[in-house]
Amino acid sequence: MTASATAPRFVETLKFLDQIKTRVGKVVVGQEVVVERVLISLLTSGHLLLQGVPGLAKTLLVAAVSKTVDLSYSRIQFTIDLLPSDIVGSEILDQKTHEFRIHKGPIFTNLLLADEINRAAPKVQSALLEAMQERRVTIGNDNFALPAPFLVIATQNPVEQAGTFELPEAQLDRFMLLHRLEYLKPEEELEVLRRNAKLGVRRDGKGAVARTEFDVLGEQEKGSADQLVRAMEDVQEVHVSEAFLEHCVEIVNRTRNHPSLELGCSPRAGISLVKASRARALIHGRDYVVPEDLFALAEDVILHRIRLSYEAVAEGQTSAQVLQEILNEVAK
Amino acid sequence: MMRLTVNLTLRLLACMMLCATVLIAQARDQREATVGMRAYVEQVVMAGPELVPAPSSMGSQVVVRVVKTWPHGEHLRYDLEWVGFEEGSYNLTNYLVHKDGTPMGALPPINVKVRSLLPAEAFEPSDIDPAAAARLDGYSTLQVVVGVLWGIGLLAILFVGRKWAVKPPPPSPPPTLADRLRPIVEEVATGNADNAKKAELERLLVAFWRARLDLGSARAVDAIMAIRKHDEAGALLRQVEAWLHAPEPPKLMDVSALLRPYRSVTAESFAPIDANNPGSHGGGA
Repeated sequence: MTASATAPRFVETLKFLDQIKTRVGKVVVGQEVVVERVLISLLTSGHLLLQGVPGLAKTLLVAAVSKTVDLSYSRIQFTIDLLPSDIVGSEILDQKTHEFRIHKGPIFTNLLLADEINRAAPKVQSALLEAMQERRVTIGNDNFALPAPFLVIATQNPVEQAGTFELPEAQLDRFMLLHRLEYLKPEEELEVLRRNAKLGVRRDGKGAVARTEFDVLGEQEKGSADQLVRAMEDVQEVHVSEAFLEHCVEIVNRTRNHPSLELGCSPRAGISLVKASRARALIHGRDYVVPEDLFALAEDVILHRIRLSYEAVAEGQTSAQVLQEILNEVAK
Repeated sequence: MMRLTVNLTLRLLACMMLCATVLIAQARDQREATVGMRAYVEQVVMAGPELVPAPSSMGSQVVVRVVKTWPHGEHLRYDLEWVGFEEGSYNLTNYLVHKDGTPMGALPPINVKVRSLLPAEAFEPSDIDPAAAARLDGYSTLQVVVGVLWGIGLLAILFVGRKWAVKPPPPSPPPTLADRLRPIVEEVATGNADNAKKAELERLLVAFWRARLDLGSARAVDAIMAIRKHDEAGALLRQVEAWLHAPEPPKLMDVSALLRPYRSVTAESFAPIDANNPGSHGGGA
């Protein structure tokens, strides 16, 4: 970190971000990288798709972030029988006035958790992804802007694929980041068990229920929306050099020309790389991006935007291997 | 009246039958025919033993066939069919013999005439032009000669005028990292490099230290983080990053001096640093 990285203008923002990380860290053990990715999404308004097996605290993490900042939060559990109107809302007939009135759906929120997005039918996925892209929804004849900030954090389970609808590449491209969660380290898992053992019970009327991590969320302090807006503005102040843009274009072009790839990165991938790198640079206390940001985020930004060729699949290659090969060639 | 009508009808029928019998019984007596055409002489009564056709040959001018023979009192009655092959007048009895082989006595002649439809001058065929005799030997030799000529022709088709593939020269080995690094360092140090060259310089410096720190198999991001933690490499990388990426590069930074150790790198400079011999590193130059 250089002298310019600790520019006084970012001190307040860095303090705010550290507070979020600390508050989230009280509920969610480990997962620093995932927390960083959620913050990047929050600061850039770029939607995030989390992929991981059940029980990795995906939902808890998103709920924790929403509770640590003064943001409205909705959660939709996607199922096969979900309808687009269940998300965006609908016109309903008011029995008293005999007129139609708008009932806004859960999408009208700052932070929307779309749990197991691949379980919903394609028309429901499309309705959500359209709203993600345009940040507006149409109900009846009226058009409504979604609240700002508006961020979708979706989850999907890489196993149990029966009865799911895989998101097509065009829709995956709407997600700025796709982060793949991994299991905790043994020491982190020990800490999870220790904390869980201390949760105790919560009295409820005459009875009581065992407390969960979600109960701890209610006790969190909240950062203000103003602080978040200031942080989002600071991201735009992070300097992006021409040399950095050259690195981005080099990587994106290599995905388009690699023999093992049938589909390379779209221009939106390059834009996402730069946006996410700026947010990461800010989170790491720098006022300019460096190649480390690019290489650290490349997997989350690029991997869901490329598709292997038939021959590469037949040879047993994976997208992750090909991407690592590309990144290694760039820096080799 | 009725009776009269019946009698008249019966008489009329009898007349008609009689006429038909006469017509049917009328014998053919064709004594003249053209060359090659069949003709008939019927109801010819001959005395003596039964007559049969005399043996004919390819040169026979007339051929006679006995179609039918009937007894006729003490004699025999014959239906004859004859064909003439040469123009002229002939006696058919000359072409008959007794069936029992007894000598032919004096029989009444059966004269016929054969006419030709061709004009007299066209009668003789044209002379045949003399031709050389066909070759009757040397076939095996001819086969060998034709076979050799065919083989020569095949080889000519296959190879004459063919553009023989020129064996490409062995590909020149790809430039080493040192070969790529030196000119870029030179350009940057002299201030002639554009942004693309500067970006490539940064990647090559990372590659240089990846090789020096033996991080070739590490993920790119892990390698960069490891390089940043290394005393010498980290200091260099941070300075290059500040120079390339910071909004306001450090004013006191001398890029030429910073890159001086890399202006004369060689392939050996990329050898991994020996952990037991820390003095082996130092920019490799």
